[in-house]
Amino acid sequence: MTYPDPADEPVPPARPGVRPFLQSGPKHSAGGYTPTGEQPPVEPAQTNTLRPFVITAGRTDGGDPDIGMETQVTVVPGAPPSRFSPEARAIVALLEESPISVAEISARLRLHLGVCQILVGDLRAAGQVDVHVLDNDTPDPETIMRVIRGLRSIS
Amino acid sequence: MDFDPSANRVVGTARIPGGATPKKAPVPVKIIVAGGFGVGKTTTVGAISEISPLTTEAEMTSESVGIDNPGQATMKTTTTIAMDFGVLTIDQTLKLYIFGTPGQTRFAFMWDDLVKGALGALVVVDTNRIDDCYPAVDYFERAGLPFVVGVNTFNGQMGYSLDEVRWALAVREDVPVISYDARFRASVRDALLVVLDQALDKAIKMKS
Repeated sequence: MTYPDPADEPVPPARPGVRPFLQSGPKHSAGGYTPTGEQPPVEPAQTNTLRPFVITAGRTDGGDPDIGMETQVTVVPGAPPSRFSPEARAIVALLEESPISVAEISARLRLHLGVCQILVGDLRAAGQVDVHVLDNDTPDPETIMRVIRGLRSIS
Repeated sequence: MDFDPSANRVVGTARIPGGATPKKAPVPVKIIVAGGFGVGKTTTVGAISEISPLTTEAEMTSESVGIDNPGQATMKTTTTIAMDFGVLTIDQTLKLYIFGTPGQTRFAFMWDDLVKGALGALVVVDTNRIDDCYPAVDYFERAGLPFVVGVNTFNGQMGYSLDEVRWALAVREDVPVISYDARFRASVRDALLVVLDQALDKAIKMKS
């Protein structure tokens, strides 16, 4: 954790070794997977924009706001195989075991949360996965009672 | 979806064993465990979770204003933060997620996403560094999220009484201030039950 010094350059120094990020790149892209090695060399001077995600072909936004950390994702049975990045295919493979949340995908595949949200959004748009968005944000008393009963039953 | 799933099922049988019976996704609910570094958030999550706590990393961009140089324009900083979380399966259709989140002010921008749909929060306090939890208390008060202040009694010891902690935090009367031991599952369970009681109160009030 670094505390930014206001007197410093407004550009944080590039940290090598943070895998999913490059220093710069196109903010939006048509999609598709670009292996790290094929990215053109980047100018360190351009780092005052958010370093975009390589795995998401540079997209850092466009993630569906409906896709939260705990949002459950399931695989669509029988969706035709499509050409996706290895990371996206790994997500589909993971979901075939059981439905899990975006946060679990992120942790188990060691992908950044933001990257996962975008990839899941891509897979959803392609009909490969279902994203189970809850109808209402505020939990109802019945659900809370069920959680309370469930918690009480553990020892 | 603009395709007919039944038409595709034939194609998919090779990929998904028994794919004709898609598993139903459980409803997720979540509780936030917030507090400063080293107060026992991860221990709390680990004590109650049925899996060992998972860590997700998020790269965050935040606008930070130069406090020492008020004339200076805001600037962007990028920080990688790690969040620990655990899962508790209540039943086939209900899953409780417990997210441990750093409580610093400069991470407050991510709490908006985190508290969306959350049942409530447990603010973990170490009485030796009580001010670490101020940002979390401030935030949850403003967000209107039900929360409980949980004093983690390391080794069964507390530097201050619960009344003193309540006085120092100046939380409303209806916010419970409790003590618990993050190392013990039953203790964490009871702390979370207090959070859920608060959540239930709020949910019932909102419904009526």
